[in-house]
Amino acid sequence: MQQEPAKRIHKNAIKAWTLNALLYGLLWFVPAGFYAVIAIGVHSDSPTPWYTGVDWVLFAALFIIGLFIYLMFAFLFPKLRWQRWKYEVSDNGIDTLRGIIIRKRTIIPINRVQHVDTRQGPVYRKFELASVAISTAATTHEIPALDIQTADELRNTISLLVKKVKSDV
Amino acid sequence: MSDFKKQHPIAGVSQVIDTVKQNFITLVILLFIGTSNSDGYFLYFLAAGLGISLFGGIFGWWFFRYRVFEDELQIHKGIFVKKKLYLSKDRIQVIDITEGLLQRLFSLVKVEIKTAGGGTETATIRAISRIEAEGLRKELRSDTSKNEDPDSLQGIENGEEAKDEITASWKLSKKDLVYAAFTSGNFGLIASILGAVSGQLSELINEETIEYFYEMLPGFNDVTIYIVLILGIIIVSWLLSFLGVIFSYYDFRLHRTKDELIITRGFIERKHVTVPFDRIQAVRFVEGVIRQPFGYGMVYVESAGFDERQQGRSIVLAPFIEKNSLPDFFHEFLPDYSEPEFDTFPPKRSRLRYIRRPNYFFLPLIPLLWYLISYGWMSLLLIPVLSMLGWLRFKDAGLGIDGDTLRMRFRTISRTTAILKRNRIQNGLLIENPFQRRKDIKSLEVTVASGSGGMNFKIVDLDNTENYSIYKWINKDEQQPEKEDVSFDPGLE
Repeated sequence: MQQEPAKRIHKNAIKAWTLNALLYGLLWFVPAGFYAVIAIGVHSDSPTPWYTGVDWVLFAALFIIGLFIYLMFAFLFPKLRWQRWKYEVSDNGIDTLRGIIIRKRTIIPINRVQHVDTRQGPVYRKFELASVAISTAATTHEIPALDIQTADELRNTISLLVKKVKSDV
Repeated sequence: MSDFKKQHPIAGVSQVIDTVKQNFITLVILLFIGTSNSDGYFLYFLAAGLGISLFGGIFGWWFFRYRVFEDELQIHKGIFVKKKLYLSKDRIQVIDITEGLLQRLFSLVKVEIKTAGGGTETATIRAISRIEAEGLRKELRSDTSKNEDPDSLQGIENGEEAKDEITASWKLSKKDLVYAAFTSGNFGLIASILGAVSGQLSELINEETIEYFYEMLPGFNDVTIYIVLILGIIIVSWLLSFLGVIFSYYDFRLHRTKDELIITRGFIERKHVTVPFDRIQAVRFVEGVIRQPFGYGMVYVESAGFDERQQGRSIVLAPFIEKNSLPDFFHEFLPDYSEPEFDTFPPKRSRLRYIRRPNYFFLPLIPLLWYLISYGWMSLLLIPVLSMLGWLRFKDAGLGIDGDTLRMRFRTISRTTAILKRNRIQNGLLIENPFQRRKDIKSLEVTVASGSGGMNFKIVDLDNTENYSIYKWINKDEQQPEKEDVSFDPGLE
């Protein structure tokens, strides 16, 4: 039986992902808002007050579904996702394990790596995090939310390992 | 070849034609709109468009220069925005030489040079003479390390000759071409496209035409019109696929030299594709549903470096070949890819999962069909068919490892046998959903580079211990790391 990769990503990942989900998750309220706007718009010609045109039950249903998804993505998933994210870099390859429901484990042999870079969005910057992206000729894999120092070290380690393997020829 | 060269003027014409081809759909739409209003100002649009593309063609040709200089193919082009495209020799993956109809009239060829990786541009030289193209190809293919040594000029010459010598060839006989065309599975695809298009033809099928047919043909009613329509679609799409296969694989020849495979094919448009051995990422043998019972299939190779627009990123190595002759074929043309035996199969406890899986997508549709269409319950008959497909998938799934070679066999609808080298595997992936966890099985997916992206080979529901042994095999320490074709870029910007 193969052991799981040993390392975890930074704990701040949870906060960063929560913040991200709070910001981008506002999209989940679009259906409810959209419905309300349409309903009021269609109703605008009639003499009765504007709110009679809206089916409040439908609106509430859409809103609650939106809210539910919003909160799940903001407060439940980041934690689970953090718990399930593990990685390890050895001399031979990069091993990652992730996925909340469907568990995915990827191995990237070191000498298939074409380049590594670190990435940082505005939210990651606030929490002093960075992600490491590993590209092969076919795909790009990302290890998210490491603290900046670890990310830089990891990037350098991988790049050194690759150089070592390639210059062995 | 250190001076910049120009293309043959036909290049301009070829570019205009390509522009028209690319905008074909826009043109058709414009024509429809144009004919529907009689003002005719759309003609000016058309003229303007044609004028612009003519301008582009002529000046595109005028400004286009290319040369091979210090191990690089250098191309200067662009009318307003000047573009300098430099391709390094050792990055070139594939050189395609195509003789289009136009080029053939002037005994010219089109050369496309492709490098690996996404976002890289294909260098296209639209029209040069065949001799120039051959010269270019030789120059780009020549070994750079040898050229650096000026003393051994004689040696290079000899080496070159030995390199270009054809050591084995294979050709598709006329009989096999016809069989291939008969059994091609394309027609299902074309039929669905035609079906979608015929939906758009509703303008044509209006009351008047139907009434006209009612009078013309006895026994004509709603049911027959559907039957006729469906039969018509099937026949037309089958004919199209038949002709498509004939045209693209007519006079198919495969040659092997020391370092590369050369494929020549096509009826109106002759294509000439060169694949160096060290650029091959994987080999696939695909047995279509119609072909498999007769013991025939198709051999593809995956090669990195095609532009993203191109649909097929695989190169056909043999359009129609008997399964029994494969070992010989591999021995002659792909000696590195000899087939290992299968020794790993999905365990018995996955069988039911295999049988159920194709039904999952279909089951929600059944009540809908039942409700919506009369005789919709007939869709229930598809369940045994899909289960049968699942069972076949279970039976066909398997893999085998021999040294550094991995062979995977799986079926979606056609059965595919993929042969991969360990040093070509870009990454391995194990996927496990909660149901699989309970049964202690996982799905295995292996990615190789193909075109500008990757191609995945997947076998679902394999036993865990076996999965991990493959995982370890992919991750194994390499005693002798092979030289890479796609080399490392530290990327520490």
